[in-house]
Amino acid sequence: MNELDLYREVTRIRALELLLHRYIEEHGFGGFWHPGLGQEGLQAGAVSALREDDYLFYAHRGLGYALAKGMSPVTLLADLFGKAGGSVGGKGGGTVHFVDPERGVLGQGGTVGSSFVLGAGAGISAQMLGEDRVVAIFFGDGAAARGTFHEAALTASVWKLPLVWICENNGWAISVPISEQSPTEDIADRAAAYGVPGVVVDGQDTLAVRAATEEAVARARAGEGPTLIEAKTLRVRGHFEGDKQGYREDLVDGLEVPRDPLALLREGGAAPAAEADRLDAEARDEAEAVLAEVLAMPGPEPDVITEGVWA
Amino acid sequence: MAEVPTLGYARAINQALAEEMRREGRVWMLGQDVGRMGGVFGVTRGLYEEFGAGRVRDTTLNETFIVGAAVGAAMTGTIPVAELQFADFMMIAGDEVFHKMAKWRYMHGAQLSVPMVLRLPTGVLGGVGAEHSQSLEVLGMHFPGLKVALPSTPADAKGLLKTAIRDPNPVLFFEHKGMYRTKGPVPEDPEFLVPFGEAAVRRQGAHLTVVATGLMVPRALEAAERLAAEGVELEVIDPRTLVPLDMETIVASIEKTGRALVVHEAVRTAGPGAEIAARIQEAAFFVLDAPVWRLGALDTSIPQSPDLEQLVIPSGAEIEAAARALVAL
Repeated sequence: MNELDLYREVTRIRALELLLHRYIEEHGFGGFWHPGLGQEGLQAGAVSALREDDYLFYAHRGLGYALAKGMSPVTLLADLFGKAGGSVGGKGGGTVHFVDPERGVLGQGGTVGSSFVLGAGAGISAQMLGEDRVVAIFFGDGAAARGTFHEAALTASVWKLPLVWICENNGWAISVPISEQSPTEDIADRAAAYGVPGVVVDGQDTLAVRAATEEAVARARAGEGPTLIEAKTLRVRGHFEGDKQGYREDLVDGLEVPRDPLALLREGGAAPAAEADRLDAEARDEAEAVLAEVLAMPGPEPDVITEGVWA
Repeated sequence: MAEVPTLGYARAINQALAEEMRREGRVWMLGQDVGRMGGVFGVTRGLYEEFGAGRVRDTTLNETFIVGAAVGAAMTGTIPVAELQFADFMMIAGDEVFHKMAKWRYMHGAQLSVPMVLRLPTGVLGGVGAEHSQSLEVLGMHFPGLKVALPSTPADAKGLLKTAIRDPNPVLFFEHKGMYRTKGPVPEDPEFLVPFGEAAVRRQGAHLTVVATGLMVPRALEAAERLAAEGVELEVIDPRTLVPLDMETIVASIEKTGRALVVHEAVRTAGPGAEIAARIQEAAFFVLDAPVWRLGALDTSIPQSPDLEQLVIPSGAEIEAAARALVAL
């Protein structure tokens, strides 16, 4: 994917983020939407380093991961709104679930931090079947506290499983700042305990995230085991849309993204202004059209409730 | 017809694992000490030597990994058979067992499946205490998406495990660790399978239907033997799998006997017997001549003393006494 295409992915994710924000403000929302505003570059940058058949366990902050993996925005929004036409047909739980086995998108749990152990299992399958697939596992700084990380990291490192852990450190585990969650400034320091590389990267710098992920993916694909990437980012909005964030002193309650990944891509020359403007406009049009299409979709029929319990 | 060889319950499980791993290269195992040691109970002995460290994987003390990695592997093309050293340790991996294993397929619109088996040494053993002796199979009944097998003979241990490994759904396989040395005839045919959802009628009788699972099956048969001398004939039914549960065989028996006693090693309150008894009265109320009774463990934790432990779970004598009283009602 060239840099302009990467810009296109980031701005597509941004357009959906902004549109969903507006929609939820105007109409409310029957679930939890955990905005990923400001983290789009990180998500698209990391996913762009994956092959189509690599596995993806995404986190709950936004739709960027799966969109960048090639899933249709119509499918993703349909899942978000619990429509029949989504990939899970209205059966996801907690925050939005979506799945696409053809593209290696394996879903997420409603319990944060549960992908560490599942992702390790996908890595075992790849290793046993002699495939050179890699498993990317996204998580936040909050999820990094889960025991599942330790349990998975320990054995995955010993077994040299083809994993890339991508921590989106936005500085807040809901209401608890990183300084009160972690004895070290960098979560990446924890990699040392597992004898794997721990890499800190600027999460607003899409190309830097992509470069770090490419290196980790190459290492995993070569059978050298996992890498922990910590992408330093920020949380522009609340934990979920509607979170008043009374606990935050650094709060700028708006939509402005400090160190905006789109602006950084433009400044770095990845997207010339005229091209970037055109892509931004296309992305906004796409988002509007997708939302209109999804809102017009029917909800699931009651008879699907008992389907899919058993294979 | 060739004679069916006699084998221990643990050895029968070992044979099932070996046969299925020979049949299908995607079947593999993981758990604490399942490799070099051959399992804390010796059940997996020899498999590491035959199949190697890549397919018989020793883990550390990380139950969330053991179960969670099995779930992740199952949805990506391999067939894991995970072992927890004690069924009680399901609680440590509760999110992995009851959410991920049970629900991943459903909450992802049936786009993925989770063909895996979780082997769970269950029940009292003689002095291993409150957190290593429980019978927790009812939990599998309470979380839709999990199948539950509970063999009471070596042949069923083998045949049910082979079926479990071939099932496209996740299975909780409760093997009674107090029965590992029980011997019985075990067919050698590699295609010997025991289907899920088909109860076994262990003994025929006209006066009372006893629905028993696991270790309670031999105890119920022992009670039936003694009562037969008094002219009381028990029909002993072993469901073998709790999910799916063969109510048809149970109800057909009660239509004949008019009475039912459900016996399990699990705690009596909200044990599997509560569900089975409720389903019996829903399906067979008008043929019942007496209330449905349940026998289960006392509502206490399992004490460590082997003597006290046996007083907590139903004995053959208690089954006999309950059956005698129920028939006389």
